[in-house]
Amino acid sequence: MKNINFEDYLIKDFFRAKQKILKSLFWEKRLFGVKILIIFSFFIFWIRFFNLQVVKHSYYYKKAKERSVVTYVIRAPRGEIITSDGVVVATNKAVFQLYLDPELIKDKEDEVLYKLSKILAEDFGNLKERYYLARKTFLGRVLIKRNLNWDEIAKIMVRKYYLPGVEIEVEAERYYPYGEVYFHLVGYVSKITWEEYKNFRGNGYFIEDYIGRAGIEKAFENRLKGKNGAIEIERDAYGRLGKIVSRSNPISGENLILTINHNLQMKAYELLKDRTGAIVVLSPQDGAVLAMVSTPSIDPQKFITGFTPEEWNEINSKVDSPFLNRALQPYPPGSTYKIITAIAGLSGGIINDLNQHIFCSGYFKYGTKIFRCWEPKGHGGVNLIKAIAFSCDTYFYTIASKLDVDYLAKISKEWGLGKLTGLGWEEEKPGFIPTKEWKEKNFKEPWYPGETVILGIGQGYLLTTPLQLARVYMAIANGGYLYRPYVVKSINLVNGKNINIDPQLEKRLYLHPKHWEWIREGLIEVVKIGTGRAAFIPGIMVAGKTGTAQVVSLSLKKSKHLEHHAWFISYAGRSDPEIVSAILVEHGGHGGAVAAPLAQKLYKHYFGISEINVSQQEEYKEIIGNDTSE
Amino acid sequence: MTLQSNFKEIFLENIWGFLAVFSLSFFGILNQWVIAENSPIFWKNLVWHLAGLSFLIGFIWLIDYRKITLSIVWVCYILLTLILFILMIFKKRWIEFGIFSFQPGEYVKPVLILLISLLASKDPSPYLKFKNILKFLIIITIPLILILPTDLDYAVIMGVMFISFIIFLGVPKRILFLLSTVILIVGFIVFPLIWNRLEPHQKGRIYGYLYREKYEKTWSYQLNQALIAIGSGGVWGHGLKKGWSTRLHYLPAKHTDLSLAVWAETWGFIGVSIVLFLYAYLLYFGIKVSQKAKDWFGKYLCLGIILVLFWQAFFNIGGCTGLLPMTSIPFPFLSYGGSITISVYFLLSLVFNVSLRRHFFK
Repeated sequence: MKNINFEDYLIKDFFRAKQKILKSLFWEKRLFGVKILIIFSFFIFWIRFFNLQVVKHSYYYKKAKERSVVTYVIRAPRGEIITSDGVVVATNKAVFQLYLDPELIKDKEDEVLYKLSKILAEDFGNLKERYYLARKTFLGRVLIKRNLNWDEIAKIMVRKYYLPGVEIEVEAERYYPYGEVYFHLVGYVSKITWEEYKNFRGNGYFIEDYIGRAGIEKAFENRLKGKNGAIEIERDAYGRLGKIVSRSNPISGENLILTINHNLQMKAYELLKDRTGAIVVLSPQDGAVLAMVSTPSIDPQKFITGFTPEEWNEINSKVDSPFLNRALQPYPPGSTYKIITAIAGLSGGIINDLNQHIFCSGYFKYGTKIFRCWEPKGHGGVNLIKAIAFSCDTYFYTIASKLDVDYLAKISKEWGLGKLTGLGWEEEKPGFIPTKEWKEKNFKEPWYPGETVILGIGQGYLLTTPLQLARVYMAIANGGYLYRPYVVKSINLVNGKNINIDPQLEKRLYLHPKHWEWIREGLIEVVKIGTGRAAFIPGIMVAGKTGTAQVVSLSLKKSKHLEHHAWFISYAGRSDPEIVSAILVEHGGHGGAVAAPLAQKLYKHYFGISEINVSQQEEYKEIIGNDTSE
Repeated sequence: MTLQSNFKEIFLENIWGFLAVFSLSFFGILNQWVIAENSPIFWKNLVWHLAGLSFLIGFIWLIDYRKITLSIVWVCYILLTLILFILMIFKKRWIEFGIFSFQPGEYVKPVLILLISLLASKDPSPYLKFKNILKFLIIITIPLILILPTDLDYAVIMGVMFISFIIFLGVPKRILFLLSTVILIVGFIVFPLIWNRLEPHQKGRIYGYLYREKYEKTWSYQLNQALIAIGSGGVWGHGLKKGWSTRLHYLPAKHTDLSLAVWAETWGFIGVSIVLFLYAYLLYFGIKVSQKAKDWFGKYLCLGIILVLFWQAFFNIGGCTGLLPMTSIPFPFLSYGGSITISVYFLLSLVFNVSLRRHFFK
């Protein structure tokens, strides 16, 4: 009994001990499991924080900033554009603009828009349509109305409490005091598009910025633009603005001083106003552009104030697009090109003497083909000077027939035709000078000698811009200095210093001194006795060349739109040449009848000769006439 | 062993645990100062932390955990259940006492840990007996079901806490398998029923978690704001009181659920790493205490506390970093809340109690 009890006790004790050891062992194992669970979980969390805070930090930082900091851009005023005689032709005007911030009126857009439509007396539907359109295309605030008047400002300020998100701001807006006169020269600005914004954002552009679209505004965009300033303000979750985080002041754009003579520009526009065409005036001393006008024109202010749909349709449907700067567009040069033919003849050794006469019987026979002179009766015996003066086609047919077309092309290129002049504007076209190689490449047939004959009088494949032709005559006037044309002569920097832009000589052209004499005499004769008599001004030396460029062959000429282009390229001065001009009237008719009188009026204006005193004029004419006959 | 070396040993064993607690308390006070500045919330939070700390010290000093008897805990349990039952009837989470409010749900955790540890320590076998497991499940289920209607998230998470506790206490593999299949089957049957009865905001949390981009402005607003706050902190953080999300009120629930996001924004990845490390160290310290404890009640008690603190942090961090659905669980120390703070300090005082009393075992 005692024995059994003892054994029982032993067995029980043994089991108990075993259980105890097992329990401790299992417990250690489980605690190890808990440790693993904790370490593993915290490691995962740690990695997650690393990913969020270190790897993706910039992404979340950007998001946080977008959410909690509002940036108000202070637009830099654009630089002014001033003519050489101190007339401001592009400036800025302070206007009150009404903006609506979509962020602040998220759920009550219609309500606010309705109230605004009442105050501004505008159609609610129109306003709403405009607002939603702008929201789609532009980021940030929406410009609801520009140039508010005092009445409207007062009405809105009084109700400001009921109009959340409505902001009135004073802004510098582009202002062009002379409107259409300077449209092509100065260009215009308009609001940046979404595409451009995406591309230029790095260059400091802002979604409400304006960007130069043409002319100087475009070519000098970087100078004129200035640097926008910005204020960054904290905005809390309820839309309340807090403290200013950072602030940078805007730096206004640089002012440009032009070479343009304002009076001349005004006169040139007045002369062309009701026509389609272009006038370019250069200074023969340095290639400075004194005036540049193209018609028809548009008021650049309209790109800011907005066109009515009718106006916009009219502009876009016009046959002669007003957007084109005709001074830089290619046209067939007509007889004005004969000067190049003459120069090629002189330098190519074909014309050697003024006694070298060619008989004009009204036509030129080349092989089996007959080329007609514009004067059916013929000019009789013609030398170089007479040929230029009367623009005798037969003479230049003959010279051209003896020339190689590639040589003619080479001379043309030397004189700046068929390539950009170096003005540096995107809208400028290079024109075109044909060569043998080009013909073979594009038409798969050889160059026919007959085509050179046509080229000699400026017909055929030739295309030149008014600016290029003005430059050719400039080089004739100043004895072979082919300057690059330039419009901006100095830039006023913000720090008060000036950058002066010096004239640039592209190349010096050489001719025999005698040859210069002959060509100049020819050009003077044009005005005195020849085709350009309408440009004659007593007391002033005017030398030039008329041109009548055929648009279609004579038989097809029916409507005004198919009329010839009228050219007159000339230079003038009291003794030495002081001014060069190229005048083109599209579909105007004869150069001598249409373009030359415009040159006369322009020069008279330039030299300050009144047009009223006719009798005096006649007197001068006689005196000068007598002088020259001697 | 001389008394001197004994004291040195005790000191070295516990000092780092205490330091971790003190640093976390300091961070908690600092964090609420960043969030609330001079408002009553900051002062109340300060009071809670100081009260909790003195409670911690005092409890370690005055009370021996071995003197906690089953009958006391049973009384507490029944009282708590009664209070929860009454609250459920009134559909309330809190009992208001003037400026302070009291959330009985928070005290379910210590009471259940004590009760289960005490009962389990009476079972000498390496694995719990089936009878005991059933008993524990019933003990857990009663208060949780009472919390369920007013605080769904907390009830579910407490379920996770205590079921994991029971599993680690030792459930035989067969029963574990049976238990998990039962839970799965019940889950599949109950889930659609519960899903249909969920409040929109509760469903929204799931939607917001699953389709973060789609519900950016609605259901996952909170999550997105938390991610922006955390991510914008970077390595070094925005610095004291400079964080946009906190200062400009973009972070919802910044005092409570998303207080860790505030911390992350203010002190960056460095600050987060420090808090994560300290917290993990505290848990590790608890496991060590559990290993060294000489009685099973102490061992079980420590494990229960570690698991509760672990899951608490797990669901909070998971929620505000977008790894888990958002839940309205506060982060111990950093979040504002009287009941949670006091209950956390009470639990920690039990851990230190076990750790220190070991040396005075008779």
